[in-house]
Amino acid sequence: MSAFSLPYSRSAAVAALLVAGAWLGLSDWRLQAWQELLPLFEWMETTPLGVAGKTWGAVFALVQALHLLSMALLGGAVLVADARLLGLLLREVPLATVQQRCHRVFAWALLVVVCSGVFMACGVAVKVYYLPVFWYKMLALAVGVVFVYLVRRPLLRHADAVHPWTLRLVALASLMIWFSVAATGRWIGFSG
Amino acid sequence: MNRWIYDFAVWVDGHDWSTALHESYYLYNWVESTHVLALMISLGMLFLIDLRMLGLALTDVPASAVARRLNLPMLVGFSVMIVTGVLLFYAIPVRTAQSLWFRVKLVLLLLAALNAWLFHRRLRAAPAGWELAARAPARLRLGAALSLVFWALIVICGRFIAYDWFDCSAAPAPLIATLAGCIDGQAQF
Repeated sequence: MSAFSLPYSRSAAVAALLVAGAWLGLSDWRLQAWQELLPLFEWMETTPLGVAGKTWGAVFALVQALHLLSMALLGGAVLVADARLLGLLLREVPLATVQQRCHRVFAWALLVVVCSGVFMACGVAVKVYYLPVFWYKMLALAVGVVFVYLVRRPLLRHADAVHPWTLRLVALASLMIWFSVAATGRWIGFSG
Repeated sequence: MNRWIYDFAVWVDGHDWSTALHESYYLYNWVESTHVLALMISLGMLFLIDLRMLGLALTDVPASAVARRLNLPMLVGFSVMIVTGVLLFYAIPVRTAQSLWFRVKLVLLLLAALNAWLFHRRLRAAPAGWELAARAPARLRLGAALSLVFWALIVICGRFIAYDWFDCSAAPAPLIATLAGCIDGQAQF
């Protein structure tokens, strides 16, 4: 019997991940890891992506627009999937169909958002390295990805067996997480 | 025309609330963030409808259900975009009115609105039974593709407004200065 087929094993794994994350975040390890990451961010500015982002302002601005467009698509997929879980939208379409189809759009949009985000980060790597809001955003994004792949999708695979209120709470959590990712992301531009 | 727009923008700029909104760090940035985040509601829904018509997303959800159900949230999102967009103009009227990108963006918004109107006319006229197919009829697909292009350009222009490449204060080439509405000897804002 593999670990993941035990009852609540996935819940236990996610809880352990959260505890480990909180412990690392509150310990001295956080500062140490941040200091050790400085060379990585300095190197990012010297890569071709970093040089391109610094040299061609118009390319940087176009990638920003691409980042916004893919964010809109990602947000749309999240909103429709969550609104369906809350029973607000597309109730005449089976839940599993809406969730699967929206997830496919979400995954493509996430890919474009992350790629354009990496390009933008390379152009201004050392600047964002010193911005707390950049790290809040990375944290929110990490929580979002963990939530989607380790909590939400495994739960929805057995949606009929899950309590309806659990599904609604999943939708609310998802909306709050992705709002935080987008809002902290926008705030990077206002800082520094 | 450019003179009239400039005088109007200067008049708006004289409002106390315009200055107050511009100078409030949190209020201005929250209005601007709301404008950007509402993209996820307005363009998020619009992209899903357009991609569904093109057969690229939600293919086993009936196209008519997607178009009908996502329409309301999309319009709510666009309402937020308009209110926050007007507030953003109100906060920085002269520079925005003389932004080449802002002007191009307004023209593109008109084109996108016209395209949306045509799209909905074709949607109503479409023969029964098409909505279960993976792709919509060609006339609807054309409208959806144009919509994607217009809105991508609108977001690009919106993002470019923030950059000062062609600002009147940067003394752009005469043609660009005319298109952007720069007035000779104007006060710099």
